[in-house]
Amino acid sequence: MDINYIGEHLWAGQLGQISIIIAFVSALVAAISYAFASRNDAAFSDWKLLSRSAFSLHIISVFSVIGTLLYMLYNGMFEYHYVWQHSNSEMPMRYIMSSFWEGQEGSFLLWLFWHAVLGAILMKTSKTWEAPVMSVFAMVQMFLVSMVLGINLGDVIRIGSTPFLLLREHPEFMNLPFLQNAGYLDRLDGRGLNPLLQNYWMTIHPPTLFLGFASTLVPFAFAIAGLWKKRYTEWMKPALPWTYFGVMILGTGILMGGAWAYEALSFGGFWAWDPVENASLVPWITLVGAAHVMVIQKNRGQSLIMTFVLTTSTFILILYSTFLTRSGILGDTSVHAFTDLGMSGQLLIYLLSFLFLAIGLLIYNWKDIPKSEDEDSLYSREFWMFIGALVLVISSFQIMFTTSIPVWNKLLGTNLAPPLDPIAHFNSFQIPLAIMLALLIAVTQYFKYKKTDPQQITKALTIPFILSVLGTAAIGYAMHYSNLMYLAMLFATLFLIFANAYYWLKVLKGNMKIAGASVAHIGFGMILLGAFLSTSKTQVISMNTSGTDVESLGSDGDFSNRDNILMMKGDTLRMADYFVTYAGKNREGVNVFYQVDYLTKTGDDYNLEFSLYPRVQTNPRMGNVAEPDTKHFLHKDIYTFVTYAEVETEEATEEPEEYKNTSTQTVAAGDTLFAGTAIVVFNGFERNVDSTLYDIQEGDIAVAANLTAIDISGKKYDVNPIYVIRDRMAIPVPGELEELGLRFVINKVIPETGKAEIAVFEKPDNYREFIVMQAMIFPWINILWAGCLVMIIGTVLAIRRRLRS
Amino acid sequence: MKKTHILAIIVIALAIGAIMTTVSDSSTYSNFGEAIENPGKEYHVVGQLDKEGELTYNPEVDANLFAFNMIDNNGDNHRVHFAGSKPQDFERSEQIVLVGMYENEMFQASKILMKCPSKYNEGQTEEMQEFTAKTASS
Repeated sequence: MDINYIGEHLWAGQLGQISIIIAFVSALVAAISYAFASRNDAAFSDWKLLSRSAFSLHIISVFSVIGTLLYMLYNGMFEYHYVWQHSNSEMPMRYIMSSFWEGQEGSFLLWLFWHAVLGAILMKTSKTWEAPVMSVFAMVQMFLVSMVLGINLGDVIRIGSTPFLLLREHPEFMNLPFLQNAGYLDRLDGRGLNPLLQNYWMTIHPPTLFLGFASTLVPFAFAIAGLWKKRYTEWMKPALPWTYFGVMILGTGILMGGAWAYEALSFGGFWAWDPVENASLVPWITLVGAAHVMVIQKNRGQSLIMTFVLTTSTFILILYSTFLTRSGILGDTSVHAFTDLGMSGQLLIYLLSFLFLAIGLLIYNWKDIPKSEDEDSLYSREFWMFIGALVLVISSFQIMFTTSIPVWNKLLGTNLAPPLDPIAHFNSFQIPLAIMLALLIAVTQYFKYKKTDPQQITKALTIPFILSVLGTAAIGYAMHYSNLMYLAMLFATLFLIFANAYYWLKVLKGNMKIAGASVAHIGFGMILLGAFLSTSKTQVISMNTSGTDVESLGSDGDFSNRDNILMMKGDTLRMADYFVTYAGKNREGVNVFYQVDYLTKTGDDYNLEFSLYPRVQTNPRMGNVAEPDTKHFLHKDIYTFVTYAEVETEEATEEPEEYKNTSTQTVAAGDTLFAGTAIVVFNGFERNVDSTLYDIQEGDIAVAANLTAIDISGKKYDVNPIYVIRDRMAIPVPGELEELGLRFVINKVIPETGKAEIAVFEKPDNYREFIVMQAMIFPWINILWAGCLVMIIGTVLAIRRRLRS
Repeated sequence: MKKTHILAIIVIALAIGAIMTTVSDSSTYSNFGEAIENPGKEYHVVGQLDKEGELTYNPEVDANLFAFNMIDNNGDNHRVHFAGSKPQDFERSEQIVLVGMYENEMFQASKILMKCPSKYNEGQTEEMQEFTAKTASS
């Protein structure tokens, strides 16, 4: 029986789906007809007309797909699975873009969008390159559109996953009873955008990153076109500005991801060598390498093979990283959430097609690719730039090899787990490589192409060298660096910055037009320096500051003075230069904000310096998620997040102040008892019992347990509960600590072992609200963010220069 | 020998070095039995929370000690100490990956990765979360 569903907007899904199909077909037609057009034969202009029309149609239909999906999100058409899954009626409209690209289908559409935009620009600007370059572009688009096609071939093969699937057609939901009701839409609301993603980062980070991804296609398409048309060197001139553009945008996108992690997620830093981060970092590194060998090639006509290899592998690595992050293969190794939409096979075909295309073309043309026979001089710029590119290759290889461990496991059937301490693992390789790279960047500009007089270089580098030595000594002393590797890293980054600044001011006479490389390198140096200073000298300030070394209390290392600090509401604790108070919590929507006041003390008065509001998000999709809050200073950040807290905001009802037995523990001398307001150490028994505490009688045997309670501020209290045996009857005399609301009763004494069973009684209001939190200082992290801006400026200058020439 | 050959050799040597370090830094997915046989060696142990076992977390006493029982994939049940705060929603976890070693008659975890079911689609999407015990660098 067919149901006539009420209120569905079927036209929207049909429009979207038809647009997808047109986009696919037009990309296919454009790829083929551009290929024919590239032959430049008699039918050239006909093919060109056809291919241009096809690609224009493709662009229009991609926009139409995106427009339709946005319209559906805007109007809350929850009959569609994608709309239902990623938005709801309460969501503020400013998050509509975030919900658009939250899902895989949406992020593929975002990627398609940027390719379409870049393709439109190239169609207009690439002149003689148009046909072969656009043919590659259209081919890539065809593969990408197939990811959102959503067509079933038979029962097993499904090509792509479409965002225009109706909820009631979705295999997981189609049999649900409520979908058999014709009026189901009346009561249906979406499940909404993950609250964790409801912030401005989710609005700006994905489009930037995907524009970065998309811009790597341009040099790739030019390189393939160059091989295909046997124009082995000419393709670099138009490709170079795009390569710089990709370096800038992709780099910005990656750093934005780091900034997001730092500002909004409690990973405890901006970079964690997480597989997802690595997957986009590696193509960036190879793209930087490609840009540099292109410059060598342009000036000296060398390293052509390397240029092809780096340019093509950058794009293939982008595809590989898409495969890693979307196929679910990373599984247990990443904190990022992945869902496999069953498209890993399709992604793999896509990846391998372009890999084989690049390798095949390279082998096919190998004999014809011009190779330089003469040896580079040790005193030439091209030699050291080439070494720099090799360092980048090794760096990216190491990162990729480790990140790919789950892939090796699949391929080789091994059972390797990723390194236990990824940060230490990567740093052990990447810090020495970064040092080498920084030194290379510092000196290479001073070399001229072909041959340089070594004396000139040493002379020119004297001032930057002295400045960096002084700087290393000063910073090393002020920040207590003693590790040689760290000092080397500090020196290398300072030398990079000073040498490039000096080069720009002295050699280039401060000319802005040609300053691109120097400025971009200074920015890169600042990123390295900021990352190095802030991570190597991260200071955890939330260590136990109660004045009691709790570690000494436990016999077997159960206690530690580690990173987490417990703060009772209202108590003031010392933390580094501050006194800190937990002032209370406040719920707003799904977020519970915990107010932590940072105070300073002058005399006996506390002054409020600032308050931080780290929060716990009671996220319906992921459980509770802690989000940090950070106080930014020029030279440091104070970063705070809650690691354990109650999220309920209702105040507990007041109960009469009676003692309640909260725990009973058997302890030997030296052991510790747990109580809400204090840690209590059992020091042992005492024979000398204070007779004022109970009515002593002839024949009594009495012992007192000597207990020391240490409260949260470190104050010590002594209390002696007594255990009396009279006429073979045990009479316990409790010991009380009014201040702490504690009472202790000896239930039993075990003479053989010297142990006592002690019951702890507490007043109910002893239970005070508390949070456990971590706080740390990241020194000089602002150098990193400033460096990012400087690098962007430098890259823009370089692009401008290349476009003018 | 040409400079390019020397360079090629250096690059290959470094690449082999990178592979070797990766293999030696990596550990294997394992179980409690193997960890107990080799105390002091770090393992990734995969298993599930023993819901019958006692979850101990007394932040008032020590905010950095959380203890629980985990059943590994071989069915062995062991007490685990984690030097950190109790992960939010730990009770809801479906699968746990522990990183740590057997020491002092106890499995000492330095990292917990847990998978929680999504509240909306049972069993469909699993969300991973990671919790690391950090040691003060002083």
